[in-house]
Amino acid sequence: MEQQITRRTQVLTNHLLLHGEPTSLSAAPPLSSNSCLNYSPPELNEPLSFNPTDMRVYLDSHNIPDRDWLFGLITQSRLFNPKQRGHKVFFSPDYNQSMEQQREMTMKRVLYLLEKGVFQGWLTERNPDAELRKFALLEVVGIFDHSLAIKLGVHFFLWGGAIQFFGTKRHHDKWLRDTENYVVKGCFAMTELGHGSNVRGIETVTTYDSNTGEFVINTPCESAQKYWIGGAANHATHTIVFSQLNINGENQGVHALIAQIRDADGNVCPNIRIADCGHKIGLNGVDNGQIWFDNVRIPRENLLNSVADVSPDGQYLSAIKDPDQRFAAFLAPLTSGRITISASAIYTSKIGLAIAIRYSLTRRAFSVAPNGREVLLLDYPSHQRRLLPLLAKTYAMSFAGNYLKQIYVKRTPESNKLIHVLSSAFKATFTWHNMRNLQECREACGGQGLKTENLVGHLKGEYDVQSTFEGDNNVLMQQVSKALLAVYIAAKKSNKPFKGFGLEHMNNPCPVIPSQLTSSTLRCSKFQTDAFFLRERDLLNRFAAEVSQFQAQGESKEYAFILSYQLAEDLGRAYSERELLQTFIQTEATVPAGSLKNVLALLRSMYALICLEEDAAFLRYGYLSMDNAAAVRKEVTKLCSDLRPHALALVTSFGIPDAFLSPIAFNWIDANAWASV
Amino acid sequence: MISRLLELFIAYEEDSNVKLVIVKGKGRAFCAGGDVAAAIRDINEGTWRLGAKFYWKQFTLNYILATYRKPQVSILNGVVMGGGAGASIHGRFRVATENSVFAMPETALGLFPDVGASYFLSRLPGFFGEYLGLTGTRLDGAEMLVCGLATHFVPSERLSLLEEALCKVDSSDPAIISAVINEYSKQPYIKEKSAYHRLNVIDRCFSRRTVEEIISALERVALNKKDDWISKTIQSLKRASPTSLKISLRSIRQGRLQGVGQCLVREYRIACHVMQGKLSKDLFEGFRAILLDKDKNPKWEPSKLELVSDDMVDSYFSMMDDEDWEDLKLPARSNLPAYAIAKL
Repeated sequence: MEQQITRRTQVLTNHLLLHGEPTSLSAAPPLSSNSCLNYSPPELNEPLSFNPTDMRVYLDSHNIPDRDWLFGLITQSRLFNPKQRGHKVFFSPDYNQSMEQQREMTMKRVLYLLEKGVFQGWLTERNPDAELRKFALLEVVGIFDHSLAIKLGVHFFLWGGAIQFFGTKRHHDKWLRDTENYVVKGCFAMTELGHGSNVRGIETVTTYDSNTGEFVINTPCESAQKYWIGGAANHATHTIVFSQLNINGENQGVHALIAQIRDADGNVCPNIRIADCGHKIGLNGVDNGQIWFDNVRIPRENLLNSVADVSPDGQYLSAIKDPDQRFAAFLAPLTSGRITISASAIYTSKIGLAIAIRYSLTRRAFSVAPNGREVLLLDYPSHQRRLLPLLAKTYAMSFAGNYLKQIYVKRTPESNKLIHVLSSAFKATFTWHNMRNLQECREACGGQGLKTENLVGHLKGEYDVQSTFEGDNNVLMQQVSKALLAVYIAAKKSNKPFKGFGLEHMNNPCPVIPSQLTSSTLRCSKFQTDAFFLRERDLLNRFAAEVSQFQAQGESKEYAFILSYQLAEDLGRAYSERELLQTFIQTEATVPAGSLKNVLALLRSMYALICLEEDAAFLRYGYLSMDNAAAVRKEVTKLCSDLRPHALALVTSFGIPDAFLSPIAFNWIDANAWASV
Repeated sequence: MISRLLELFIAYEEDSNVKLVIVKGKGRAFCAGGDVAAAIRDINEGTWRLGAKFYWKQFTLNYILATYRKPQVSILNGVVMGGGAGASIHGRFRVATENSVFAMPETALGLFPDVGASYFLSRLPGFFGEYLGLTGTRLDGAEMLVCGLATHFVPSERLSLLEEALCKVDSSDPAIISAVINEYSKQPYIKEKSAYHRLNVIDRCFSRRTVEEIISALERVALNKKDDWISKTIQSLKRASPTSLKISLRSIRQGRLQGVGQCLVREYRIACHVMQGKLSKDLFEGFRAILLDKDKNPKWEPSKLELVSDDMVDSYFSMMDDEDWEDLKLPARSNLPAYAIAKL
């Protein structure tokens, strides 16, 4: 009994004195450092199989030194909210500021960049090199802050773009330089409370007073008020106004005019009313406004007259007689918006992935072996499966985005239709991908993903709008399928081969999918393109057949199209993904043999096979058998483990400086330490 | 010397008896930099590959110093330029004195600021890094302290006492070491004519997008005020190799956004191209004009900034088209302190 008591007392004593074993009191120190988690940077544990700066050349593709210059302008200024976390400094707007403060900071940053010469030539230089540089710089701005990029987008691409493309020489001479220098601050009043997607239905009305040589712009009812007008609530002095144009009692359709809404002192002009759209779920650095026009008079010269004009005595003149064609000519130049949004979606996806993947290379959870070390997140096949396919898609979209930019800056009247369709497809695809990607990345970062400073979660609110503005994604995809249908019908009617939109593969014999899919077949680009061709071909055939069947049943062409929406959606996706695969393969072909090319091949296969796995169309319409589908699924898992060793190099290749990621992508223990608080 | 330093630093890192490493020069200099003459000789007598080998070793040393597990205290009591900066600035503590003279003068020679300078210059305040790297301007000890190249300033007469105290410290704790150096430190004054008083102008001009625009911006400022400093600055830019200027600008700006390892890998590529002399022979012309014949009148080729295209500059940053060549491979490091991890 006594022995038991002694032993028991000793055990309790040891607990209280934190000793491992009953030994003398002077021996062990109270704390041992071994049991603490240590941060190990991925750079030390993940060997690079290729130089990320070489891969960056393919991903960024143009103006890399200019991008680095602009990153430097941001990091060397205190205006961009530097925040020290541990041993690193991050640059990200303070989203905790009030809406008014965020808007003010955004405007301050615009003026700083102006002073540094960032916008030189954005409107006054018109050649492919200048345009590409403009895109590159806007992409970098977006990496820092979406609001700042939108503020610039509205002023330069929408207001400035409208002057460039809808206006003529007199407008260029009068407005472009002043816009570039921010002597005027522009915005773009197209959307109304009652009309967004259907621009042709807008209700603002403009008439002409031949006695005074003025146009009179009016908001006839509440639904006609302009809404969501970025820049209008606080800062803009001028706006492009989209309005129905009634000349001599005849509605000539939608036209664009210039109206001043504020004077140089910032006071709202007479007969203009402006209200604030208020706080949003994100993008609070942009001051969106509502605008009412109360019979506002503007000089006749303010009509942007590249497509149509009104003579001083009030005659409507246009070289394009068909109002549909005229409207299309009108809207064609606004493609640049879809292109910049597509690019911005991809860079945001890159930010999300860089953060989530870097975090998963340093965060451990659960051991597999008893008493073993906890396992790195990215060493789990399930974690790989969540992130690596998204990485492959982001790479594919990055290459495709660059291709789109290239054909845009070298555009000709003949290529406009393609650019319109491709930019619509890509804008929808990339922005939807961005949101899905951010959600997955946020979840992959666990609780840390909820901190605003860790960025990945907060970006969801900031970028959600992308699926809506500059064209609702669903509407855009419908337009894509409409365009493809038109090509189909034209080819069938004229009995000529398919030409345009990459549909030339329809002229070849129907591709055949082998019944047995081995690993090497699955990774072969010919098989992958065959599968995508097959899907697109069959869906286009089915879609055309269904539409014509509805028409045969008496439905109008428009309504038949509306009823066939499911096939239209499937087809739009098939077209998009096929274009993405083709540009990926084209990019891959330009890379010299070596480790970089090998990794790209892995990514390309991952892209192709994840599309095969995720699109139900392949099984629904029998392009793949159940065995095929099982083989695809297995191969995706294999590709995940093949890509795992390259994960760090692949996200480093994005070229996003550390300062524009977030603390969890680096030493998150040090960043949260008491000494860093 | 590089080989010997490498040996010693690697040994000291493992040796538990070594708590900190003190580095100092002998005589008037801490270290005036790499032996360019020897490098050129190697290249002329052998091949550029011999020169490349030297750079490989040197950059490896720079990387090890930048990620060293123990504190390094460099006593910069004299000239510290080029390679000398590479052997000291990456360390944890840099002690300047009234005798310090810092510079990265490479662009005048047809070279570019290397030894990880694209890392440490780019992290100076504002666009001071571009200014130093492009113009090769000299800084004294006080200026080094105020811009962050030096961590402490100790008058030279107190150096032996400082060394004694450091030898007694017997700790690797940077806080303790810093406190010891602080005891011998003094707050120096920046001279009136210092470039550091002109940070506004430097930031305004050296933040421009291209070398051409930097020079135009300086010339615009010069129109409004007659100033020795501005004309000297413009002159040093106009005398430097145009190719070197463009390479240096791009390298510093890219370095600002990268870890020290990536900076060294990039600089190694550029160095190999420069030594190979296929893209331009400015290194050899610079050596001839400044160090050999000393006529100080180098005939750069291309001779003007406008003749150096972006594509030409791109080539320096690309892989060498050579079967035996490979990118710089830096040694594996482990157990880095948090402050070194942040540099990766």
